[in-house]
Amino acid sequence: MPVEWLIKPETASEISGAASFEAGDAPLAEAHLWPYRSLPRRGFVLFIAITVALISVPLISVLGTPVLWGVLPFLAITVGGVWLAIERSYKDGAIVEELRVWSDHIALIRHDPRKAMQEWSANAYWADVHMHETKGPVPHYVTLKGSDREVEIGAFLSEDERKTLYRDVLASLRIARKSNA
Amino acid sequence: MADAAIHGQEHEDTRGFFTRWFMSTNHKDIGILYLFASGIVGFIAVAFTVYMRMELMEPGVQYMCLEGARFTAAAAGEVCTPNGHLWNVLITYHGVLMMFFVVIPALFGGFGNYFMPLQIGAPDMAFPRMNNLSFWMFIAGVALGIASILAPGGNDQLGSGVGWVLYPPLSTNEGGMSMDLAIFAVHVSGASSILGAINMITTFLNMRAPGMTLHKVPLFAWSIFVTSWLILLALPVLAGAITMLLMDRNFGFSFFDPAGGGDPVLYQHILWFFGHPEVYIIILPGFGLISHIIATFSRKPIFGYLPMVYAMVAIGVLGFVVWAHHMYTVGMSLTQQSYFMLATMVIAVPTGVKIFSWIATMWGGSVEFKTPMLWAFGFLFLFTVGGVTGIVLSQAGIDRAYHDTYYVVAHFHYVMSLGAVFCIFAGIYFYIGKMSGRQYPEWAGKLHFWMMFIGANLTFFPQHFLGRQGMPRRYIDYPEAFAYWNYVSSIGAFLSFASFLFFIGIIAYTLLAGRRVTENNYWNEYADTLEWTLPSPPPEHTFEQLPKQEDWDKQHAH
Repeated sequence: MPVEWLIKPETASEISGAASFEAGDAPLAEAHLWPYRSLPRRGFVLFIAITVALISVPLISVLGTPVLWGVLPFLAITVGGVWLAIERSYKDGAIVEELRVWSDHIALIRHDPRKAMQEWSANAYWADVHMHETKGPVPHYVTLKGSDREVEIGAFLSEDERKTLYRDVLASLRIARKSNA
Repeated sequence: MADAAIHGQEHEDTRGFFTRWFMSTNHKDIGILYLFASGIVGFIAVAFTVYMRMELMEPGVQYMCLEGARFTAAAAGEVCTPNGHLWNVLITYHGVLMMFFVVIPALFGGFGNYFMPLQIGAPDMAFPRMNNLSFWMFIAGVALGIASILAPGGNDQLGSGVGWVLYPPLSTNEGGMSMDLAIFAVHVSGASSILGAINMITTFLNMRAPGMTLHKVPLFAWSIFVTSWLILLALPVLAGAITMLLMDRNFGFSFFDPAGGGDPVLYQHILWFFGHPEVYIIILPGFGLISHIIATFSRKPIFGYLPMVYAMVAIGVLGFVVWAHHMYTVGMSLTQQSYFMLATMVIAVPTGVKIFSWIATMWGGSVEFKTPMLWAFGFLFLFTVGGVTGIVLSQAGIDRAYHDTYYVVAHFHYVMSLGAVFCIFAGIYFYIGKMSGRQYPEWAGKLHFWMMFIGANLTFFPQHFLGRQGMPRRYIDYPEAFAYWNYVSSIGAFLSFASFLFFIGIIAYTLLAGRRVTENNYWNEYADTLEWTLPSPPPEHTFEQLPKQEDWDKQHAH
């Protein structure tokens, strides 16, 4: 599942005392979210390896003749092309959203490979998380509200993942408020 | 930060006709464009064969005269000097068009574009604009191909008559610019296919729905992936080969000219290194379609899913190491010939796995003979016949006798014309309701099947006899001794052509006035891939959110 809680809100609750953003403490909870991609890096390596091995077979019959130089550039262009295409596809999906929650602060940073980094932050006490079951661009659309602004989180996740995400963000905000008191 | 967008979602299709069909980046629209374009080119290529079968119906030359090609037989008194060039042009472009511009665009471009992303739950192809580029390059290739037919060529006539394989020295010596245009046509269509293949590979590898591991991908999507891979590996070799032809022709190189130290047999090697995988490129998407159709109309899940997948992969890989069985007679060593013979026969194993798995899928199932199933049945039987003659031809010794006879023509038309083309028709009848929202009349589909089945068999089965009698391929005329079976074969060709015309009528009727389809899944619950969870026709945008696993994962882990 492309949501990873680097610091889980549950374990954070056991930590006594406040984690102050002002004081530079580590956050109470931290999550990274990214869109799902179905090809693991190892799969990519294997695919390119088999492709190169098979595409080289015809070279056997033309080794030592000038014809080799007529064929080789086209093979190289093709392997390069499929390599670049898959890399590009990884990059298209290389959006990462980082959520960090402290007792007095909540921050969301979104990295998009083809856009400037986007940031949102608010006071964790007043910040709120919403789930819009139908009205959003996707069902169970999760948004964060605070500092006079409402931003989306995890819109690229699957529906069930967004439901889980909502529960987890809610829990981490509750812990933040509790630790403040 | 992406500010929240909370409002009702509207997906109103506001595209005009021009925007939708000429600038489309939507995989479903591009798929439909591919199907129509290949249908039109297919009609041209089929029309050529009808004219050729008219000529071959009787011994002597009655239609293709130097005095002018005619549509009525020359009367007894009239002079008719045989025009061999016209004949050669027709066989050449029948081959070129069918291989590059009809079957691959229909199965891979058409069905692949439309259904592969749907089956894996992807919102579109990985690179939608590149997809548009692929399609229009294919159209540019078709235009170049047609231009090549009409441009000045060899023998001071129009067009090139060198055979679709473009062997040198014939192709390097052919006069006029027609040959160059043909080479460009193949180049552009090759580039289009490679771009398409890269797109499909990236989509398949990186955009599958969560939980859809490689061992759970539907068979058709798998077949498209293996096909793309074959295209990626084989077509660059062809591009290299024909580029060298172009250089030999125009820039004084001598890659394939012995006078300058070149070797024409090398061209044959690299041509067939492309050419053999090419036939699997043509048939594999058909295998994928047939698997779904047989499972649906047998009301059983496909038998042996994993062996089916690995059989396709094995066919693909083996396809790369058997190329020289097309050229046993060029003077290879005995060891080389033995190797290519054995490697070729090994392909019968994965193919057998597939054939037997399809039969096992039907075994004990509740088989329903709807039109798509009839076509699948026809495919299964006829492809097997073509496969068996393939085993015969694979043997270097026997091939000495059959090489370049009508036996070979019969063999590859059984696997291509009766294999791949039956798959296309099966796919069209299976999916036309899904694609258009209207259903074909069942009786008409069945009539089309029986006409085509009888017609195609009548055309090609007698050609086995002609081959065994020793009639060589690629000739405009033949001695009296071959007259009987040629006559029968021509009758079959006319019947097949009539069925094709009837098919065009069925499509027109279905699209304009067919019964509306209201259900998402108008077959039964064994059509269980993701496209059947969508309305018919599917909306412009599909799977913008990832589909849930329970929508497509109907079975226990394999």
